[in-house]
Amino acid sequence: MLIVNAPVDDGGHEEHGHPERPARLAAAMAGVADLHLGDDLLVVDARPATRPELIRVHEATYLDELGVFCYEGGGDIDQDTYATYDSWAIAQRAAGAGLAVIDELRDRGDGVGFVAVRPPGHHALRDRAMGFCLLNNVAVAASSLTAIGERVMIVDWDVHHGNGTQAIFWNDPDVLYVSTHQWPLFPGSGGAREIGGLGALGATLNVPLPAGTTGDVVRQAFEELALPTIERFDPTWVLISAGFDAHADDPMADLALSGGDFAWLARSVGACAPGPGRVAVFLEGGYDLRALQHSVSSSLAALMDVDFDAEAPTSGGAGANEVRHAQSERRVAMRMADQDI
Amino acid sequence: MTHEIKTIAVGFDGSLPAEAAVRWAFTLARPLEAEVVLVHAVGLLGHLEGEDVTSEFHDAVARLAHECNFDIGHVSWQIEDGNSTSVLMRASGQPVHADLIVVGSRGKSAHAGLMLGSTSLQLAERSTIPVMIVPYDR
Repeated sequence: MLIVNAPVDDGGHEEHGHPERPARLAAAMAGVADLHLGDDLLVVDARPATRPELIRVHEATYLDELGVFCYEGGGDIDQDTYATYDSWAIAQRAAGAGLAVIDELRDRGDGVGFVAVRPPGHHALRDRAMGFCLLNNVAVAASSLTAIGERVMIVDWDVHHGNGTQAIFWNDPDVLYVSTHQWPLFPGSGGAREIGGLGALGATLNVPLPAGTTGDVVRQAFEELALPTIERFDPTWVLISAGFDAHADDPMADLALSGGDFAWLARSVGACAPGPGRVAVFLEGGYDLRALQHSVSSSLAALMDVDFDAEAPTSGGAGANEVRHAQSERRVAMRMADQDI
Repeated sequence: MTHEIKTIAVGFDGSLPAEAAVRWAFTLARPLEAEVVLVHAVGLLGHLEGEDVTSEFHDAVARLAHECNFDIGHVSWQIEDGNSTSVLMRASGQPVHADLIVVGSRGKSAHAGLMLGSTSLQLAERSTIPVMIVPYDR
């Protein structure tokens, strides 16, 4: 069973010529439709996230400022990020959609969740919008789970490092944040030595990858670097910050993944959940519409174990040395942190 | 205790507040014989703009140097991926080794925390080296 939020009317959050646009969401939903799930597809209403739910991860003053900024008509927040009159309401619903999907998964104890929303969230900091993101959707969902005692792993395979998510959970030992991303690239964070704060050493795991990285290297990074940490953490929930801009066709970056690579990742990450009904996929980036549609289908099909003709996995590109280097850098950082304590 | 200012880092995104900051940096650097490094943060959209994301700014910088009678030979660029606050924060370290950061501010804003002006606020709060904030008055 795939549990998807009802479409949030996102047409009011648009800026002419901006790549983070409503057509992205349509492409993602077309990716769901391509799976022809029939009765195995359940659509749940998306409600707005409440202020107490948002305040778990965002500062109240930021929420107030963003709300008023939108109410007064919005505009450019920084060189990348915009908001319109409608953006506040849309962002609230995007954050709430994740909560609704997780509620349904908890009620059923079964299924895979897909939170198909925009604007994306993983760059949004506690007190600042950035990188197209206004509210941190996956963080709002993760914090709702840790609030009831769950241990949450967030795997972020967007091509950009999820600096907002990392920062929000930097000192939280109940959230393991794992990210593969192109480096150097926006937002400039995500080095292998960033391992979490004193309250959560080792609960942040970054694998920076060079341009041209192919799927075989991402698989190596996951198996050799991430899996041992994940097994030690032993998550009770798995949330995926699924950006599909690491696809070779995406114009925003230079990794070289395919639909088949995302399928492998989805299957492997999903297998880290302790049982059914504990995996939810959150849409982050992905700006080539065809690649986005195909990659959504490939990932969800792999998680649900249904047939889909995904592109072949890739290999032979850059990055193997960088993965080994990241492993060594992480060990050094962990050792230094141990000595400091 | 004295502090020598050898290198001044200026946040530059081509905006009018950034131009105001560059004017101050050039004016300050001339008598100090300091180098000026224009720090440009490349955002998400910067990746779509091609290789040399600062080429569109070169004429403006030359004009500003001329206005301030500052030798353009003492001006260089530092281009980094990231948001402007984090990129400018790193200017105190390698390879820029700035002794002072100069940034423009949009000045009065009802939403100073949200707008570009927050770069100056965050730098003022978190920078390990002195920060000069140049208000831009439209």
